[in-house]
Amino acid sequence: MKMKRFLVGLAALVLVFGMAFAAGAEQGVTDTEIHIGQWGPQTGPAAPWGAVSRGTDAYFKMINAEGGINGRKLVLHYFDDAYNPAKTMAGVKQLQEGEGMFAWVSGVGTAPGLAVKNYLMERKIPWICPSAGSRHWVDPPSKYLFAAYPMYFGDAQVLCRYAIDKLGKKRIAIAYQNDDYGKQGLEGAEKELAKKGMKLAAQIPVAVTDKDMRPHIMALKKAKADAVLLFVTPGAVARLIGTGKAMKFTPQWMTTTTCSDYPLMMAITKGLYKGVISANFGLMDPSKVGAIKDLNNPEMPLLKKYKKDGYDKFAAKGERWGMTYAVGFSYAETLVEALKRCGSNVTRECVVKELEKLQNFKGTMGNISFKPFDPKDPMSRLGQKEVFLMQCMEGGKAKILTDWVETEYIPVKHK
Amino acid sequence: MIDFLQILLSGIAVGSSYALMGLGMVLIYKSSEVPNFVQGEMALLPVFVAYMILETYGFPIYVALPGALIFAVLLGCFLEFAVIRRAKEPNVIGLIIITIGLEMILLGFVSWKFGADQRSMPFPISPYDSVEIGGIFISSLDLLTLVVALVLMLTLFLFFRFSKLGVAMKATQQNENAARLMGIKTNRIRMMSWGISSLVGTVAGLLIAPVIMEPYMMWDPMLKGFAGAVVGGMTSLPGAVFGAYIVGIVEHLFGGYVSMEFKSVVAFAVIVLVLCIKPSGLFARHYVKKV
Repeated sequence: MKMKRFLVGLAALVLVFGMAFAAGAEQGVTDTEIHIGQWGPQTGPAAPWGAVSRGTDAYFKMINAEGGINGRKLVLHYFDDAYNPAKTMAGVKQLQEGEGMFAWVSGVGTAPGLAVKNYLMERKIPWICPSAGSRHWVDPPSKYLFAAYPMYFGDAQVLCRYAIDKLGKKRIAIAYQNDDYGKQGLEGAEKELAKKGMKLAAQIPVAVTDKDMRPHIMALKKAKADAVLLFVTPGAVARLIGTGKAMKFTPQWMTTTTCSDYPLMMAITKGLYKGVISANFGLMDPSKVGAIKDLNNPEMPLLKKYKKDGYDKFAAKGERWGMTYAVGFSYAETLVEALKRCGSNVTRECVVKELEKLQNFKGTMGNISFKPFDPKDPMSRLGQKEVFLMQCMEGGKAKILTDWVETEYIPVKHK
Repeated sequence: MIDFLQILLSGIAVGSSYALMGLGMVLIYKSSEVPNFVQGEMALLPVFVAYMILETYGFPIYVALPGALIFAVLLGCFLEFAVIRRAKEPNVIGLIIITIGLEMILLGFVSWKFGADQRSMPFPISPYDSVEIGGIFISSLDLLTLVVALVLMLTLFLFFRFSKLGVAMKATQQNENAARLMGIKTNRIRMMSWGISSLVGTVAGLLIAPVIMEPYMMWDPMLKGFAGAVVGGMTSLPGAVFGAYIVGIVEHLFGGYVSMEFKSVVAFAVIVLVLCIKPSGLFARHYVKKV
């Protein structure tokens, strides 16, 4: 009888401790694995950006091959949302409520990200480095959302400054995609020019579906622009520059971080991209102005390693080593760093705390620093504020034009 | 004035590729009575096949282009033979759904086989060189597109007027039963219409590909071609051509003088307007089926 009572007591004890342990364990973390989610378009018009997810996947596989993080393997669950916010929401919900993700990393696109932002934040699930430079990530800031992609208006500021100060351009115009991305560029350019008492020579909206750029080029030509900022997709950049060439309009074209994959841009413009200036946020060390860099033969030791141990070993056959693929590694670096710092105690709170402690963290992007959460300070959740400029050369190589340049944050105009 | 002429010319240039797509759609509409939403992808696959012949197998362009065109004809014939003909007691809605389904299958296949990366088709004429006539520019590729479109239209006109097959096609389109009673193999004729339509669309695709090739490249031209065909009345070949040129020119005038922001949707406003005022289209002879 005594024995029986003892056994029942023991069983109860085990049950209670077991449950307590289960309640304490973090969702998406087991003794051997950490489950991370990501969305990205593998089909549809935005599919070229889907390479980000495949890059992160190779990055995690590389880390796992080297023993994982404190004995735990990283498992990436990524799904195709075709850049459709409704599909993003469905997929995130399914993974979060089905398999249970510990955190989310990257995720391409402003609209898909916005669709799931509240869902993730309400549940206090960390989301690190959305793959878009939208102000919505940080203004107002959320405790569990850490953005590292520099804001698009920063690109516009630095490009305008360079065009005026270094190139002596007098009539700067912009062709901007008619959405959050393009309008941020417009805002940045207007603000920078206002500082110098100048105004945009023309501001031409481009719809995402526009394939025919003749009217846009005519308008730019009429405005006699001598430098044109292009805040549009890579395909639209190619069309604009090409149509410009055919209509004998050749200003200094300048474009953003999204169009700095020079080998790709050279291929789709049949070489017309040579001479174009673009902003960039990483994958190269810009400290030597005038140096020539080649994305296909990275010099940065960390990126070299990613290519050798990640891409060469784990990329699918036919996968191109391009900027979009490589930044799939970069976007996950801060998360991996925070997980490493947490040691064996992997909890969401710990990851947030460790991310907040990051000061001038250097991976393959620029310097990344966060601050303790302050609901009034967007900078507490915007990691990277700097970009550099480079110019496309023969063979898709890049000539560094500036070192890192700090950009100025422009707050959202709250109505 | 120069601006206006430039806008007009650019509108005509872009209208040419719309016209080819519109022609393709009308050819099929006349034979199978379905707005063919797989028109774009029937051109997409042969364009990628041409790219494969060029890049993967290293054949010269004068092999790749005819190769793609032959493939296009076979593809069109195959789709009609293997899918459309098998539809049991088809109604228009059912057929539309079938073409949308085929569209998705072909698009998915191209995305899977060739990947989503943008690329550019090597082509003897650069899309970025241009000809200048009194201060007005037209790119060499646009000029080529214009000429090819006109030649193709003329060929089709002559084909339907004078060739035996063309007359048989016309007969089948006008009255299938009577045509069959006259000994015309109407099924085969319908299959040929799909083949020719696919060929015409592929010519448009091959002339777009030197700029940028990607799985979604044919969607916009297809919709605009469709818009042109609706404006022209869906059953008239010259109507589709004029309709497509109207769409191209209106689009450019609107972008140049009214609003660049809404330029790409103006085509659909034109459709609505035409359907409200003259539902049978601007060029179609009014045709009422007698019971």
